[in-house]
Amino acid sequence: MIVEVKNVSRSFRSPKKTEGFTGAMKLLFKPEYSTHEAVKNVSFSLEPGSFNGLIGANGAGKTTLLKILSGLIAPTSGEARVLGFDPFQRPVEFRRKIALVMGQKAQLWWDLPAVDAFDLLRAIYEIPMPVYKERLHTLATLLDVTKHLNTQIRRLSLGERMKMELIGALIHWPNVIFLDEPTIGLDILAAHKLREFLKEFNRREKATIILTSHNMEDIEKLCSRVLIMRTGEIIYDGTAHGLTEKGECRLRVRLMQSPTVEELAQLTGVNASAIAVQAPDTGPDEEDKDENDHKPIFFTIKYDDIVAILQKIMTKFTIINMGIEEPSLENVIQRLFQ
Amino acid sequence: MSWRLAALKNGFQDATAYRIEFLFEVLGSAFVPAAIQWVLWYAMFKIGGAHEIAGMNYSDMVQYTLVSLLFTQIRGGDHDFELQEMIRSGQLSNYLLRPVSVIEFVYIRGMAPKLLIAGVCLGLGTTVGLFFGMSPVRLLGAMVMALIGNVLHYQIGAALSTTAFLWEEAYSFLMVKNMLVSLLSGELIPLNLFPKNMQWMWKITPFYLYVFGPTQYALGHWTHTYFLEQLAWSCVWLVAGWAFIKVTWGLGMSRYLSLGG
Repeated sequence: MIVEVKNVSRSFRSPKKTEGFTGAMKLLFKPEYSTHEAVKNVSFSLEPGSFNGLIGANGAGKTTLLKILSGLIAPTSGEARVLGFDPFQRPVEFRRKIALVMGQKAQLWWDLPAVDAFDLLRAIYEIPMPVYKERLHTLATLLDVTKHLNTQIRRLSLGERMKMELIGALIHWPNVIFLDEPTIGLDILAAHKLREFLKEFNRREKATIILTSHNMEDIEKLCSRVLIMRTGEIIYDGTAHGLTEKGECRLRVRLMQSPTVEELAQLTGVNASAIAVQAPDTGPDEEDKDENDHKPIFFTIKYDDIVAILQKIMTKFTIINMGIEEPSLENVIQRLFQ
Repeated sequence: MSWRLAALKNGFQDATAYRIEFLFEVLGSAFVPAAIQWVLWYAMFKIGGAHEIAGMNYSDMVQYTLVSLLFTQIRGGDHDFELQEMIRSGQLSNYLLRPVSVIEFVYIRGMAPKLLIAGVCLGLGTTVGLFFGMSPVRLLGAMVMALIGNVLHYQIGAALSTTAFLWEEAYSFLMVKNMLVSLLSGELIPLNLFPKNMQWMWKITPFYLYVFGPTQYALGHWTHTYFLEQLAWSCVWLVAGWAFIKVTWGLGMSRYLSLGG
């Protein structure tokens, strides 16, 4: 295994600031601290050459986990090993074999043309000149930025800058790549180009990639394996396909009456968390419009249970209309986040 | 080419990316303090009517001011502020994952323009000094001491910047340190102007090796033997500075939060 994580936890202590002047004075003379557990007892391992997606809502612990794996911070407890190394020891050999790209953090030097930064990275990683030239040509061509190599970084568009950041991170041909929201802020075309590039790089170089993203298209199109985090814990570990193929569907019913979720849960035996009235992701399409404002109720259930649940509902309520929806990855993940 | 040379080249490219800004920085930082000193000496000697202060007359003071300018330019920059900001904002993460020492890398990149300035100052000082009977050998020796002072200044700053691991914001702390350096390095006033019973204040720090020491040697106020003795002390300070960095960064890194992102 190229990445092994065993019972890793990480907590952060930060000062608590209360409102107003009194709060500021208190912070100055008698600060109080709160501890936040960002990653809780996480375990998993990754195979060489795999493309893995790490997803979760904001604050779920994804970036903290990437920082632990890349060696920027140490876990509070547990053990992580990447390429056989303890990441936090950061031995030179380890640093030569990994790369971390943070979509929100520039790593190249703002005032210099990208090519000057790459030249410095070439010297840092001791890449022979012919190899460097070939790699730069390959990466710049794949990402379509050859004509921007001599432009100052700060004069580039966000998409072009992100591509340059990727070249800077990959010029030493790392074995393990950590990508933290690489498509953030990119337009559809740039994000597509970047995705195609990552796919190709993974296929060609057999590099192990861990990608965090809020863009489900990134995950669906790139990742053979998905890890979902919620409040510091891994709540799903499997294929992206597996999430939508668990034999689940969304049963949509509109009733004459307006029962509460608790009433419906009690009547049908379905867990209340799997019942939603007018799901937030549901737009007011034609089918959902109802002059008497009968809101649609969604049950996330197994296909096999549809008939039994409908029968139970009909014992107490009158169904106006109904439908069955295939869940999208986005819907499934949204439900998992909640 | 090793990464150190590449970093030096890269640092120079970065510093001179905006030529006018670079020239203003060099000239402004040289002439503004010199003008202030000149006004001060003029007021004391010409308006106030003083003849000699701490064994120095008006001409000695002006000479000190002009020669010390050469070495003030070589004194270290504000890389400690850069380091503390990197720690605070999490930008340090960009450097930690590269297979080189962060401290060395930041220093070398920042040192590049100073080396150019040192060369120019040495050339200028040697040429002008010849007309005033200054020894080129003394100037060269003084420049070596000033360059060691540059390393020392960075070492102390880099070690103190680690307070940002603890306090998150260490700007004011480093600011106070810089004010002390300005006073105790001899870049504002010759250190022999300090009252006799307060001379210990500058002698216990290595700051006098940045400007005062090189100026004294270049002007012929220090003997060769005394200069070599001071040079040996500066090497002792270098070792102490290196150990200081090792300890403070070792302790600091265990507290690093890598914020942002």
